[in-house]
Amino acid sequence: MAALTPGAAAAGSTDPATASPPGPARAHSAHRAGRAALRAGAVLLRRTLVLAALLAVVFTAVEILPGDAATATADRGDSAAAIAARREHLGLDRPLWERFTDWMTALPTGDLGTSARGEKVADLLRDPFPNTLALAGAAFVLTVAASLALGCLAAARPGRRTDRVIGHTATTAFAIPDFVLATGLVLVLSLWTGWLPAVTVADASGKPAEWTMMIMPVLALAIPQTGWNTRIVRAALTDQADAPHVEAARLDGLSTTRVLLRHALPGALPVIATGIATSTGMLLGGAVVVETLFNHPGMGTVLAGAVAGRDTTLIAGSVALAGAAITLVLLAADLVRAKTAGAGR
Amino acid sequence: MYVNRRQLLIAGGGLGAATLVGCSSRGGGAPAPQSTGGSPKRGGTLRVGALGRAGAITRDPHGTQSNESDYLVLSLVFDTLTVPAGKPNTAPRLAASWEAGPDLRTWRFKIAPGALFHDGGPVTAADVVWSLRRLRNTKSGASRLPGVQADNITADGDGTVVLVSDYPNAELPLLTRLSSFVLKKDTPDNALDKAPGTGPFKLDWYRNGNARLVRNEKWYGGEVLLDAVEITMFETAQAMSNAILAGQIDLASNVGPVAARTAETRKDLRVVRRADDMAMPIVMRAKDGPFADPRVREALRLVVDRDAMVKQVLSGYGTVANDIMGTGDPRYARDIPQRVRNLARAGQLLTEANFDLGKTYDLITTEDIAGLAESATLFANHAREAGIRINVVKQESGKFWDETWQKGTLYTTYWGTNDSVLFLGSKLMVGDAGQNEARFADPAFDDAYRRAVGAADEAGRAAALVEVQKIQHERSGYLLWGMADGIDVATAKVQGLPTLAGYGRVQLQSTWLR
Repeated sequence: MAALTPGAAAAGSTDPATASPPGPARAHSAHRAGRAALRAGAVLLRRTLVLAALLAVVFTAVEILPGDAATATADRGDSAAAIAARREHLGLDRPLWERFTDWMTALPTGDLGTSARGEKVADLLRDPFPNTLALAGAAFVLTVAASLALGCLAAARPGRRTDRVIGHTATTAFAIPDFVLATGLVLVLSLWTGWLPAVTVADASGKPAEWTMMIMPVLALAIPQTGWNTRIVRAALTDQADAPHVEAARLDGLSTTRVLLRHALPGALPVIATGIATSTGMLLGGAVVVETLFNHPGMGTVLAGAVAGRDTTLIAGSVALAGAAITLVLLAADLVRAKTAGAGR
Repeated sequence: MYVNRRQLLIAGGGLGAATLVGCSSRGGGAPAPQSTGGSPKRGGTLRVGALGRAGAITRDPHGTQSNESDYLVLSLVFDTLTVPAGKPNTAPRLAASWEAGPDLRTWRFKIAPGALFHDGGPVTAADVVWSLRRLRNTKSGASRLPGVQADNITADGDGTVVLVSDYPNAELPLLTRLSSFVLKKDTPDNALDKAPGTGPFKLDWYRNGNARLVRNEKWYGGEVLLDAVEITMFETAQAMSNAILAGQIDLASNVGPVAARTAETRKDLRVVRRADDMAMPIVMRAKDGPFADPRVREALRLVVDRDAMVKQVLSGYGTVANDIMGTGDPRYARDIPQRVRNLARAGQLLTEANFDLGKTYDLITTEDIAGLAESATLFANHAREAGIRINVVKQESGKFWDETWQKGTLYTTYWGTNDSVLFLGSKLMVGDAGQNEARFADPAFDDAYRRAVGAADEAGRAAALVEVQKIQHERSGYLLWGMADGIDVATAKVQGLPTLAGYGRVQLQSTWLR
């Protein structure tokens, strides 16, 4: 659980350099495309290095925790000799860097290694990873849609009651801890009213048996992040309101909605994209807590158990996949920023 | 880690004590089920929730099962030679009967007539021998079939399996209770997930810890009433509790007291309490250090307020105990007077033993199971009232098992197999026991133990068993204040649920739906 959060934070630290506008408009377009590709490559390389460093941290962190996978998977009656044999079998007697190098070199081939219980990590994550992506993805879409809508609504009525209510609600939503929110949702939407299933039960396909089982976990993830991003959208639009071209549009007598959507919003997009991209890490990190509470068959539950079992390869495999997903979203955010910032010129 | 440490009973094969030599019982081996509502009816699907972790899933019947959900699937699909029961505590299953030679070393198990694998093939002694040897040759084999070498597991014809123990052992059939799952001979390791079993249910599908099982129409153990069992794995008891409260499952296995309190208030739910499920004793190091003097250990036992512990730590879901491990044993010595709180006597003993009341003593505990850390804190309060200063130290589970377990001077532990005084004695209290948590070494205890398992006559063994318990009550390294109930919650329509402690709860072959 702890492993993912710093990971998300590390990978989520967007680099201001990548937001710099593209080259002078008068430069030759092919030349410009070449430089853009080069820069995209550099960004990709940097993100990959961050991910690799993160995985090294994961390996080290598990090593520092007391106990190891051999003791964690042992029966209580096992002798010291049996545990030593198990340690050797799992390769835990080898130096940390050697295990890490072996695991990393196999990674590009798609080999995520073997868990402490002798299962292929890729097999263990095959069903949970898409389930987590579906959950986090749905929460992501909801977050984007809701925070844009609420942020614009608030910005369209600056200082009025709607603005204040949205602002306060957003702050509160962001401040509620995941588990409190989740527990509240279960109480209200399931145990008291019976509207929704309380937990997720998977069927033979490994997916939630009914789609309604997704609603509460998605809400539990999306509500805090919507709170956070609504504030960002609102703040970015306020900044834009003072920009000369927005001012000019307003003076031209265009409607508030039109000014907001056509003139202010495009300029605010880079900031909004960064905020939402950073939320990806929080969404995937929050999935660990939320999936456990709702019994969602995703990677969060795998990861929680893996940390308890000191299962380094399983933890690293989960972090690698989550990290890759976060990296992709951050790259997308970089693209949005590069494009909108360029268009603004 | 948290879950697998609880699987001690699998580790130990979950022995018990009371089997008579030459015991030859009949029947399907079903434990006395709980019956409340009318005559059993055929049909229906039982939806069961059980605890488990996605990262700890294993399909190997002889592997380290740390998931209750996996163990539930395995024990409904595969059969063990014997199963836990009430009185005596071991009942026949795939072994229809057993008998020992006069030396109590050679044991002959007869395979149940008509036992078939799910693919229709008959169960032969060769299959059983292969399976037991496979179990014995796993990394934990020595602790699962203690004293029985792989070479000493042999077939005698098609219908009899012979086990020869390294030493006389009147309890040997109990060793086969919980992990002696029988597979077909030469089942390759990569086909374990689809290997046919012999149990009351056949595997329909299994995925990521969740499974659906369907009735085995040809089960040799009797008619199975349920059409199917659907098992859902839950990471936490809280999620499982929500599932039963919301009607998404029919049975929440081992869900605990928090869920039970809520369920008590609902007419459509029933709480099943299984007594003697979990022991959470305090270990006092007997070999050296401040608790080496038996008078100090007795004083601590006199200091604890047992009723308050059961009421507050277990929310009342438990019973007071008498410092003897193995409270569920049919031959547990109930006539030994119950120890009660006596601060005056405790103070007297501490003075006699020159116990240093000026010092503060660390009591190390973990949050491995619900109530454990709370038991330490409440005990420290009780001790303070007697002038003993105890400081509770909560350790992270991994650190505890590495650094404190079997090494500390004062710490909490827990055990899940509690229906055998002798099993726990052999594991924990005999001088050379592998897991002698308190480093207790008492020649009189060792002698009594040896007579209790190896004396030629039944009367001699019974007398020695009483002695084993008297010594424990008097001076072992354990302060056993109470026993936690195992708690399941079921919907009102579920009938015939097992009421046995520990892994007796997985025996759902007699369960039916009203």
